[in-house]
Amino acid sequence: MKKSTSKKASTIQDRLEVLQTRVVVERDSVSSISSSDFPFHTNNQYPNHDVLERLRKKIKIAIEKKSQYDMEFDIIGIDASIANALRRIMIAEVPTMAIEKVFIYDNTSIIQDEVLAHRLGLIPIKADPDQFDFKQSTEHPTDQNTIVFKLKQECKRNPKATANDTDPKQLYINHNVYSAALTWEPKGDQAERFKNCFIGPVHDDILIAQMRPGQKIELEAHCEKGCGKEHAKWSPAATASYRLMPEIILKEEITGDLADKFASCFAPGVVEVEKTNVDGESIKVAKVVNPRIDTVSREVLRHKEFEDKVQLTRIRDHFIFRVESTGILDSEKIVFDSLQILSSKCTMLLKALDLKLKEKEEVDTSQKNDNAMDLDV
Amino acid sequence: MDYSDNADNNNNNENPDENDSDLEVSDILNFHTEKGTVIDPQSMTFSISGEEHTLGNALRYMIMQNPEVEYCGYSIPHPSEDKLNIRIQTTENTTAINAMRKGLEDLKSLCAKITETFCEANNKFDEKNSIS
Amino acid sequence: MNREPYQGPQGGPPPPPGPINQATPRASDAAAKMLYNCADCGAENEIRPKEPLRCKECGHRIMYKQRTKKMVQFEAR
Repeated sequence: MKKSTSKKASTIQDRLEVLQTRVVVERDSVSSISSSDFPFHTNNQYPNHDVLERLRKKIKIAIEKKSQYDMEFDIIGIDASIANALRRIMIAEVPTMAIEKVFIYDNTSIIQDEVLAHRLGLIPIKADPDQFDFKQSTEHPTDQNTIVFKLKQECKRNPKATANDTDPKQLYINHNVYSAALTWEPKGDQAERFKNCFIGPVHDDILIAQMRPGQKIELEAHCEKGCGKEHAKWSPAATASYRLMPEIILKEEITGDLADKFASCFAPGVVEVEKTNVDGESIKVAKVVNPRIDTVSREVLRHKEFEDKVQLTRIRDHFIFRVESTGILDSEKIVFDSLQILSSKCTMLLKALDLKLKEKEEVDTSQKNDNAMDLDV
Repeated sequence: MDYSDNADNNNNNENPDENDSDLEVSDILNFHTEKGTVIDPQSMTFSISGEEHTLGNALRYMIMQNPEVEYCGYSIPHPSEDKLNIRIQTTENTTAINAMRKGLEDLKSLCAKITETFCEANNKFDEKNSIS
Repeated sequence: MNREPYQGPQGGPPPPPGPINQATPRASDAAAKMLYNCADCGAENEIRPKEPLRCKECGHRIMYKQRTKKMVQFEAR
């Protein structure tokens, strides 16, 4: 037997607890990865509680940082499969409006029509997607499913330019085509419906094309509602990601000069060295202050002197979400929408299940009736 | 309103395969027992079209929380096929269909709980930050 | 700089048989003049048969065809 057990030998229960609730980060591997909170996984007893109620009770949410288009929040007590479903929905299934069709009347600039159309598609368009319907490819555009923008710009020489000017800004007029040049053209009752809300590009300073005197761009662009899974231009999330909360477990106190070295193994602010008085002598002691900002670089595990003194883990059910919006939707709206979409998927499937069962039942009864008639004959 | 002058030019991008939403609701989900075997209500494979890992893994997790479920797994047989298969095997005490229904209902109720908790946290954050 | 007017190759292939001179003018000939842009100064030029290909403004010999007047539709993808 190896004498690997330290003075504070953890009991089997403690270790099992760590394996169930933590992902263990080792020197050159990550272990205890899969979640194990399933009935009969860790014991042979039939769960005597309501499983769902227990899941619901565990959930805690705290908002860490929030601005209109950027937020960081913690969800504690959910499984990775749920967290991942939400992340995937935020990126790929929350609908927005984006330019989908471009009708080019004139484009004599050096940027090719198809490249120009592609660039237009990627411009975030601020418009409330809830106010619009999805347009099927068989449908005609209407004021319920399409927003129309026009763009018309021609480059000219600047008559005020002097002979010494070399800067295009001085030499030419209108040589830069910015997203601000897209002008919304309300159709149908859109002017009335959206008189209180803004419709147009989120940013006015996105450079679409550059021109020289005599060149001209004239086009009409149609926005349609869509989802990120069809094309990334419809994704409302610039970033939607999560990470697990890092945890640094000190098995022994780290003191003296070793404490300084220990602190330098982590990102600044994660571990701080404090001075405490022991027997009238002041000693330096390492304290874990803010594991949240740790990068989990594992630098500490490279040093022999910290072996058996520290364990790096991540808390399995503590998700730190970061949601950054492209500016079309508020960041919290992206989260709300994703939850609502996941829920409506379930509703839809429940409905489908009921319909299917009904269908089967009808088929079965009609078959029985057929058989009965056969017997009569 | 009239968009008809442009609508005439819309014909070149008609792709019948893209119309997920044209599917009837009852076509989204199918289930069957293995062909050629005795019909067994305790073990079934559900086939869901238009869904992928997003719902597949979350639903698999929720169904596995049911102590009456002996096995639950999901697969996407081929990436170019718009299809998700979920296999459920249960004990005698329930049926695969009931386990599926419970899984969907549980996932829905979990969503509602997360929404509620998120809403509370969001309001609390707004209150705290508007005062300071 | 003094430029000699361009002379086409002398004694080229024989003219194709058939009634060249009696060729009926096509409908498009009368309807729209074909205009070209000078590659140097951008001036609009009309090119006629047998005339030297030269910009009337600057004498440049390269012309660009103009963009179609038709609307073209693209998918923004």
